[in-house]
Amino acid sequence: MSLTMVTVVLGVLLAVQLRSTEPPEDTTMSIDRAQVLTQELQVLAKEQNSLKAEIEDLEQAIASATQGNEQAKKALQSEIAKNKIIAGITPVVGPGVIVTLSDFPRQEPPESNPQLFAVRDVDILRVVNDLRSAGAEAIAVNGQRLISTSEIRAAGAFINVNLTPVASPYVIKAIGDPEELKNLLEMSGGLAETLRSWGIGVEIEMADRVEIPGYQGARFEYARPMAKDGRG
Amino acid sequence: MWTSIWLAILGLIVGIGIGLNMPLFVPPVYSKYLGIATLAALDSVFGGIRAAISERFDNVVFLSGFIGNALVAAVLVYIGDRLGVEIYIAAIVAFGVRLFHNLAAIRRRLVGK
Repeated sequence: MSLTMVTVVLGVLLAVQLRSTEPPEDTTMSIDRAQVLTQELQVLAKEQNSLKAEIEDLEQAIASATQGNEQAKKALQSEIAKNKIIAGITPVVGPGVIVTLSDFPRQEPPESNPQLFAVRDVDILRVVNDLRSAGAEAIAVNGQRLISTSEIRAAGAFINVNLTPVASPYVIKAIGDPEELKNLLEMSGGLAETLRSWGIGVEIEMADRVEIPGYQGARFEYARPMAKDGRG
Repeated sequence: MWTSIWLAILGLIVGIGIGLNMPLFVPPVYSKYLGIATLAALDSVFGGIRAAISERFDNVVFLSGFIGNALVAAVLVYIGDRLGVEIYIAAIVAFGVRLFHNLAAIRRRLVGK
């Protein structure tokens, strides 16, 4: 009888053992899975570390960038101001000369060509050119600021400056060393003498404060800055 | 004699049936213990059958042998686990040797006389 009981126990044990070890695939799978997950965890931990390092690097970069930001801003602002003066879009003031060219004052005969006795575009151009060679930093003709694209060109009875017709008397304002500007124009055999010999009224007045307006309407439809590598 | 053997086989079948339908699952960590217990039971059963065949079966000896063997085997497994030495192999070898010894005796008894 006890033998039977023990065999019952043996049967239970055998069956349980079989059932427990029956799904060996499951257990090995779970072991494999644990290994896979462990590896994945390690990889992810490494990745996390590298990402953390990257975050630190970027934060440092941000810190240094914000540090330099103020200085860069100031430098850029002064650069912009300088470029605006060079471009001629800001009104400027300073010592300089005011040159007034007026047409031949004599009453010319009606049949003669009035253009012969008037101030011509090339006269203004030469004055402007001389003023620039004497170091003028800003020039305006009858309130029209001369910039890099300004033209001085006869258009019928008028002379166009910045596509705006101007008429006699022509007042050319220039900022620069007043003495130098005046001396260059007035030197013997210079431009003022030549023009006067042609009958054109030339007045040169030195001023401590010459105001020159900014150029209005600067626009660039076709030209755009070229990149350093030469591509547009 | 034969009734006890048939009863043993019947008990084995009943036990397997119970075991298969039991909602019990032994975790893999303890499968070693279960295996050694199974081996102890197997050894006892063969010993019992041999004793029954030779008409020397004694309930006290049989049960004490079964329980004592199983306990000592479990203790060996536990100690082996603790020490990192697989001492339970000693129990397996001992049980195995005795198992085959008993089996041989039963066989000789049944076949050779």
